[in-house]
Amino acid sequence: MSANTSRKQRPDNEEQSGHGEQRASPARLSLGKKQLPPIPKNATPITKPASSGTPAQSANGTHASYGPFYLEYSLLAEFTLVIKQKLPGIYVQPSYKSALMWFGVIFIRHGLYQDGVFKFTVYIPDNYPDGECPKLVFDIPVFHPLVDPVSGELDVRRAFTKWRRNHNHIWQVLMYARTIFYKINTTEPLNPEAAVLYEKDVQLFKSKVVDSVKLCNSHLFDHPKIDDPYAISFSPWNPAVHEEAKERMFTCKRRPEDHHKGMQVSGLSWVKPGSTQPFSKDDSPPQS
Amino acid sequence: MMASMVANGSRDGQSLVLKGVDPETCMIVFKNHWAQVVKILEKHDPLRNTSSLSSLSVINLSSGPRFGPVPGDEANAVQNYVEHMLFLLMEEESGQAGAMGPILEFVVMENVMERLFVWSLRREFTDDMKLEQLKMYEMLVGQAHQPLLHHKPILRPLMMLLSSCSGTAAPAVEAELVLLLNQLCCVLAKDPSVLEMFFHTSEDQGATNFLIFSLLIPFIHREGTVGQQARDALLLIMSLSAENERVAQHIAENTFFCPVLATGLSGLYSSLPTKLEVPGEEWHGLHREDWLHMPALVQFLNSLEFCNAVIQVAHPLIRDQLVSYIYNGFLVPVLAPALHKLTLEEVMTTTAYLDLFLRSVSEPALLQTFLSFILLHRHESVHILDTLVSRINTPFQLGTVSLALFRTLIGLYCEDVMLQLVLRYLIPCNHMMLSQRRVVRERDCYSVSAAKFLALTPTCCTPDHSPPPLRQLESILFSKGSEVAAHTDSSEKKSFSEKHHENSCTIGSELYLDVSYLHYLYDAHLGISSCIRACQVWSAQYDGEDPPPEKYQPGVLEEPWLKSRQTQMALKRVPQPLAPRPRVCPPPPRAEPPSVNQELEWDDSYDVCQMKTAEAPVESKPPQLPVSEPPRHIQEMRRTAIMLVNGSYNEENEFQDDVMVYDLVAKKDAREVEHGGGKPKGSESEDVQPGAGEVSLKNGLSLTLPAAVMADNGKSSSDTKAKVQTDCNSNVQNTTALELGDDLLSQYEELIRTLDTQAGGKPVQADGESKKPVSPLEEEEEEEMDFTSFSAETPEAEKVQLPFGTKFRSGSSSRSQSVPFTGPFVSVLLSRLENMLSNSLYVNLLLTGILAQLASYPQPLLRSFLLNTNLVFQPTVRSLYQVLASVKNQIEELAATRTDFPELITAAQHWMLARETLMAAADKSRSGGGSTHGEAGGILKNSPPPKPKAISLDRTEVFATVLYTEFLKELAAVAQEHSILSYIPMEE
Repeated sequence: MSANTSRKQRPDNEEQSGHGEQRASPARLSLGKKQLPPIPKNATPITKPASSGTPAQSANGTHASYGPFYLEYSLLAEFTLVIKQKLPGIYVQPSYKSALMWFGVIFIRHGLYQDGVFKFTVYIPDNYPDGECPKLVFDIPVFHPLVDPVSGELDVRRAFTKWRRNHNHIWQVLMYARTIFYKINTTEPLNPEAAVLYEKDVQLFKSKVVDSVKLCNSHLFDHPKIDDPYAISFSPWNPAVHEEAKERMFTCKRRPEDHHKGMQVSGLSWVKPGSTQPFSKDDSPPQS
Repeated sequence: MMASMVANGSRDGQSLVLKGVDPETCMIVFKNHWAQVVKILEKHDPLRNTSSLSSLSVINLSSGPRFGPVPGDEANAVQNYVEHMLFLLMEEESGQAGAMGPILEFVVMENVMERLFVWSLRREFTDDMKLEQLKMYEMLVGQAHQPLLHHKPILRPLMMLLSSCSGTAAPAVEAELVLLLNQLCCVLAKDPSVLEMFFHTSEDQGATNFLIFSLLIPFIHREGTVGQQARDALLLIMSLSAENERVAQHIAENTFFCPVLATGLSGLYSSLPTKLEVPGEEWHGLHREDWLHMPALVQFLNSLEFCNAVIQVAHPLIRDQLVSYIYNGFLVPVLAPALHKLTLEEVMTTTAYLDLFLRSVSEPALLQTFLSFILLHRHESVHILDTLVSRINTPFQLGTVSLALFRTLIGLYCEDVMLQLVLRYLIPCNHMMLSQRRVVRERDCYSVSAAKFLALTPTCCTPDHSPPPLRQLESILFSKGSEVAAHTDSSEKKSFSEKHHENSCTIGSELYLDVSYLHYLYDAHLGISSCIRACQVWSAQYDGEDPPPEKYQPGVLEEPWLKSRQTQMALKRVPQPLAPRPRVCPPPPRAEPPSVNQELEWDDSYDVCQMKTAEAPVESKPPQLPVSEPPRHIQEMRRTAIMLVNGSYNEENEFQDDVMVYDLVAKKDAREVEHGGGKPKGSESEDVQPGAGEVSLKNGLSLTLPAAVMADNGKSSSDTKAKVQTDCNSNVQNTTALELGDDLLSQYEELIRTLDTQAGGKPVQADGESKKPVSPLEEEEEEEMDFTSFSAETPEAEKVQLPFGTKFRSGSSSRSQSVPFTGPFVSVLLSRLENMLSNSLYVNLLLTGILAQLASYPQPLLRSFLLNTNLVFQPTVRSLYQVLASVKNQIEELAATRTDFPELITAAQHWMLARETLMAAADKSRSGGGSTHGEAGGILKNSPPPKPKAISLDRTEVFATVLYTEFLKELAAVAQEHSILSYIPMEE
């Protein structure tokens, strides 16, 4: 298996997740291609422009038409926060169809779940950030006390009993998803069997975990559960396909400079660092 | 003649003939010809000493033949032979390993060219002869197959020819000379080794070291092809200088290149029109289509462009010298006084020029020169920048043009500019509550600010109030991934999605979205990204920590480096005797550069005021942080305004209201009319011709800068020069007042009335009393009033006589460091924005454009100040949001009182939409692509607007309402994009 998450070829490769260095522009709202997320509940949709004929300070009406923009940008902001955090071993990517659904994968590098590669999907409530906390569902239910053995849903709510805007962010959910594999908690489990085994028979628990990890990894190359152009999919290492991409990833560190050279927009400054005086630079007079 | 025949095309035939002819035959032919020529030459050589050139110095180049005329047939014979010889020489290929071909070798050995040159000197050395010789060399240099210029016997006569042409005035000879020089420079550029030859040859002649260069200098500022060729040639040498220290040094130390260039700018500037005809109210700056019709301006721009190019390619030595000459030889002595001329029109024109120049200059070093002039230079001890900022508040075209200038300035992404204009007032962070400092860097995750801005949308402008074609609304299908529903409580979903299919699903009711908002988002994205990129070269983050607010030391701004540098330069630069002196001809000063002494400075009295208060005892004033104080003229303006309104508006830190200021000045001037009436008018200034138009202009001027006017009486005898000037100033007013006493008053009243009409909803104006046209009677009452009660904190010592003879306390101490002030620039912008409803559409377009650009800057200090609606400011600080809210109130009040408002809005929207479409089309045809969305993108183009159909542009309040709504969207979009873009880590 390739070390990097080699994803399905996408026609539009703009949206990539995880790697902080990869681009300067976030997922931009591109017209026509990408549809806006559902209408948030707090914004009452205007049914017909003419019918809402009550001129009485329709501040709500004004807001309603912009509601989707607020939601979209809130989610984009969350996504940039995720990028900024550079969470170890976690990669996410919003779906093509809805900004409220993010695909992710988590690599476990040591501990009981070592070598586990778990794909998951994050579902964000459409009244974000005022609703419940986002849900995180593993594609394959991992054997873990906090993961529902049937649905694969992680018990996120125990960590975020009340989702508070400005305090809670989606990257924290992702971080939490990572933590559970390193620090196992058995209280009020969603998978009682796993909890009991962990308490009573760690050896058996361990072997079950190994089986679960194996199971997950054996399904790694499966077609993504959700059919979406931006869904994360794995494929076996194929030099013809992946070598070039790998090459690019390793060289992309140099790119910003190149970018800079061809850039027409360039600012001016003759302010000496640490000074607040204009034209204070020592080489302020044009000296090369 | 021989050359002209060549040029006529016989050459082609010849070369064809020569193609295949074996070189030896050519050599024989050449020698034969030469033998014939020599025969004739020697026959007419008085000294019979053909190889010596010592005779050359004796020959008087300009006089006629000395040794008797040469018979025509002999002269013709020589010409024919020479012509053939030249063909042979040109066509000869160089020998093995770059050795000279046999013919060339012969030419060099026999000193053919020199002897031919002497021969032509012997005959009448007329312009025609020069032309002939020049063409001959031009042909040789341009078309020879082997390098010729390495050989002194060829180079030397060429140099002699060139120097003999240096004084020529005949246009034909000049054209040919420049062409040849241009060609020589091309050769130099290709083969710098020739350069050494040029230097050495010149030394032999005792001439200027670098003759071809010196010869080109006089043509620098020429118009037409000659000028262009000369400039191109010089540029070649400039780029040569970048690599060759010797050339650079020579040019910098032994030639007049830089001074000629710089003084040339001054000369060309002086021939520009001092007053521009303004095509229409929408006009705000000189654009290509304007200046293309102004030959003088085209010529100036050519020279400026040339300076720009020189600075770009030349050696640092030359670059520095040129930049310093431009500063000290053009900007300070010419442009600074021009910016302070007497009439509004002239000042407006100069401002438009400055704006154009800034837009034309691209080289950082040259831009730096212009910018340091604007930011740091003091004219009559007032910074140019302060003066320019204060003019934003002027009514009439000057204010508009000043706005356009600042649009250009803040579009440069220059840290120094932004620092002086805005950031330095924000760095100390005392515009916000102390607890709020951490908020500066906070991001607005949930678009709260955008929502707050959009919530200001006036009721009459909400999307559901506009008919479909205008709304540009489109239904956007909202969809959600199928999985979303699967994993969320289905009960919640039900409300707006009964069922949906896998890919795209239409939700029961369509939602109408303002599509134009998407465009604003797109524009904001582009604007912020490029701004972020550009600001990467800045020295600090300006995020409330870097630079640290506590350590901020405003310091004293010094006159820039250029001054000392220039003196050094001047000392070093001992003009050397230049043998054939390059004809330094700064373009004829058709109009004298404006001399400072004769000009009546229109606002220098401001300094008098400043100086006086500086001398006054300032016990209570804390010495540190003078920057937290606004410039004095603004303080004065505000203070007086506040006092005038007398209690109805005494909140000290609310910014001055324009209308009140106008009112005040009107009153003050009304008084002056009275007072002036009693005075003898002996000291009438000569420049003043009190025509009616002139007068109103001057009134406009004093109107705009009340501080200047007020200072007239407040001045002391401390500075005689300034005193004289201000005296003149008041004389002008007195005089004009005398002649047109009542007329003037009514003009003011008229003006104030027009200014007032739209301002009904403003809180400031609640007191109708204060803006009534002033009658002399009321004036008397005002006089009695004791204003001290309004400025109790001012020490008694600082009282200053006011024009009305009222006791008045200077505002110098009114601002301690703790009083927050966000700077005159921001204040004046916000103040104009608050008056949006009475501004013309074009002023509002510029104003909102500037504010949107400012809001696009990523610096957290600036961003939080303009866009963060959650930030808690000091109560005395006005925020953009507050001002916008006040405008909203004005609009709502207006809409409530006028029944036809909705129709008018619709008409205005139609008009603006048509204008937008028109400009987009013009844009597309001009650039072929590059879509500009939204108003903001297209504002600053100069395309003629369509004629409004149902609505007059005079309905400023209607247009302002429409624009206001759009501006809210623009700001909201900028705020939203900031919440994403400004936080993307930029990895280096």
